[in-house]
Amino acid sequence: MLNAINARATDISRLINLLALLGLVVVIAGSLDLQFGFGEQPCPLCLVQRSGMIGLAVGPLLNLLWGMRPAHYAISILAAVAGGAGSVRQILLHIADPADPGYGPAVLGFHLYTWAFITFLIGTVGCALLIMWTAPFDAADNGVLRTPSHARALTIGALGVITWVTIDALIIGLAVLPECGLGPCPDNPDPGPAAGDIGGALLMVGVGIVSIVIGYLLDRRFSNRLASLTRGPDTATEDDHG
Amino acid sequence: MMFSMFVVWIIVFVGAFQRRRWTVPVALANLVWTLVVLNLHMTDPIPLNF
Repeated sequence: MLNAINARATDISRLINLLALLGLVVVIAGSLDLQFGFGEQPCPLCLVQRSGMIGLAVGPLLNLLWGMRPAHYAISILAAVAGGAGSVRQILLHIADPADPGYGPAVLGFHLYTWAFITFLIGTVGCALLIMWTAPFDAADNGVLRTPSHARALTIGALGVITWVTIDALIIGLAVLPECGLGPCPDNPDPGPAAGDIGGALLMVGVGIVSIVIGYLLDRRFSNRLASLTRGPDTATEDDHG
Repeated sequence: MMFSMFVVWIIVFVGAFQRRRWTVPVALANLVWTLVVLNLHMTDPIPLNF
């Protein structure tokens, strides 16, 4: 009975972490779409916020890969504080002067740094609430690879979104080099090459689709390995004879 | 300088995939480094006059 309750709590907790990670991927992909689709190069404060956003994603990523731990949520909260410091700094810079139009385009009425601040705030509140729910911590959860979920789609989705975050983090990191080199970044960087409205969106959706395919392949590989481990040598011999 | 933040994040991701014990301390160190980089780029004063 207790095991069934723990397994259910683990699955629900994994789903929440997966959705949180997916939300973060959408925010990160949106900023990358502006960069590669419209040529909007990120400013230094924007890069600090991107670093905070990746840090925010590390908590759910570790929860899904290693199992639910309060320390993982703590990493996300601390990352939200670091990234939030960057976005608050940028908001204050631009509201100080009423004639200041802000940096970059507004999306749904808010600039990206305001959206980043809202994301960090939601992340902090969400992590604080999830730490209060102790049932997933009591379960013997070792992550989606070692203790797969009852719903296979959850494991495939988790591995896909984790791959998506990793690829986006790689793209963000590599895109810094041509803009800033190894030194500090320019305060107002020149616009970069733009793939266009549809080109940028296609690029981001393409990364998402490739990630889900990689997630499916990873799930197949690890579930086969787990099955052969649980089957054991005795059963394998019976199968061979049978 | 900014590039280094993201290099360390990739190292953290590699550590997460390989279940290395140093992953969490390196992630925390990178958050401190992120704040240091933020401080280095805080060059303009904010004239809010609260």
